[in-house]
Amino acid sequence: MIDCPEAVRRMWAYLDAALDPGPTEELEVHLGACKRCCGELEFSRELRGIVAATNSPVLSDELRSRVEHLLGTGHAREADR
Amino acid sequence: MWPHGRRDAGDGLDIPIRNREYPGLARRLPLDDALSGLFDVIEELSTLMINAAEGTNQATGAAQTTGATGITSTTARRPFAEVARENLDRLYGYCLHLSRDRMDAEDLLQDALIRAMRAYDGLRDQEAVKTWLFTVATNCARDRWRARGREPGSVPLDASDPDDEFSLFATIAIEDPFPYSDTLHLDFLRLFEDEDIQAVFTTMTPAFRAPILLTTIHGFSCKEATAILQIPLGTLLSRLHRGRKQLERGLWEYAVRRRLVTVSEEP
Repeated sequence: MIDCPEAVRRMWAYLDAALDPGPTEELEVHLGACKRCCGELEFSRELRGIVAATNSPVLSDELRSRVEHLLGTGHAREADR
Repeated sequence: MWPHGRRDAGDGLDIPIRNREYPGLARRLPLDDALSGLFDVIEELSTLMINAAEGTNQATGAAQTTGATGITSTTARRPFAEVARENLDRLYGYCLHLSRDRMDAEDLLQDALIRAMRAYDGLRDQEAVKTWLFTVATNCARDRWRARGREPGSVPLDASDPDDEFSLFATIAIEDPFPYSDTLHLDFLRLFEDEDIQAVFTTMTPAFRAPILLTTIHGFSCKEATAILQIPLGTLLSRLHRGRKQLERGLWEYAVRRRLVTVSEEP
């Protein structure tokens, strides 16, 4: 059975559904026997959720205007073709 | 020697400049037109060099996509401005998280848009446009770090990392900053607003930060993130883990420094 540091190492990949079936099964066997790592997994899930919910900042009007000017220049190039 | 042209029998050059009306066909040009067309060829080669770096290919008039079945499909090419506007807010968010401050992020966004605009003709898979835009932004950020003499992996990537053994979960339990709480760990996480998370991101090693941004905030799969960062899956997973550990230590140190929690002794 894998030890606690290895279980913790796999947790975010597990939450990302990026673990292969073999390592996933090993982790789940460990979680079935280790209360501390269950707590760590739950905490990782919450932490990951907070990071995932970080809002994308809004462009300032000045930056959006500059970007629109840039895209307008590109649009003109496309129209020339 | 010019790589694509050859001298003909004195009346011109055969130069395989992309034909706008019939893509893929070379035009036979008179000498004067050929000389003026050299600028087009130089632009084409510049685009190809950028495409090689961004993982795109020479385009024809429409985008061709090879799916999992191996069948090549064709979808309509959308104007660059349209796809850029559609992804603008998320792309800016990614640039901001990769940068030191807003001014740096704004410069990075504009660099990425200019580079993407120039290379857009080379993008074959229109369905992968979001992944491609983030790849361009990542490469621009990497170039900027290198120009400043600060490599993305300025912390030795393969060396042992002091953060590797850090556990925020265990630290909170040991320090017990909310002694009367039944939801100790959740109470700690609730201390953080978006700007606090952003502040902690800026303290992380960029090579460890980018995988977390891509997979956790921007919703890319690990496979897509490997394509954007141009690293193998094993490396990505390792950096995700180390990034997570840096993030955990960063959150704890930020909370202590800003006195969001009270502990007996600073770590």
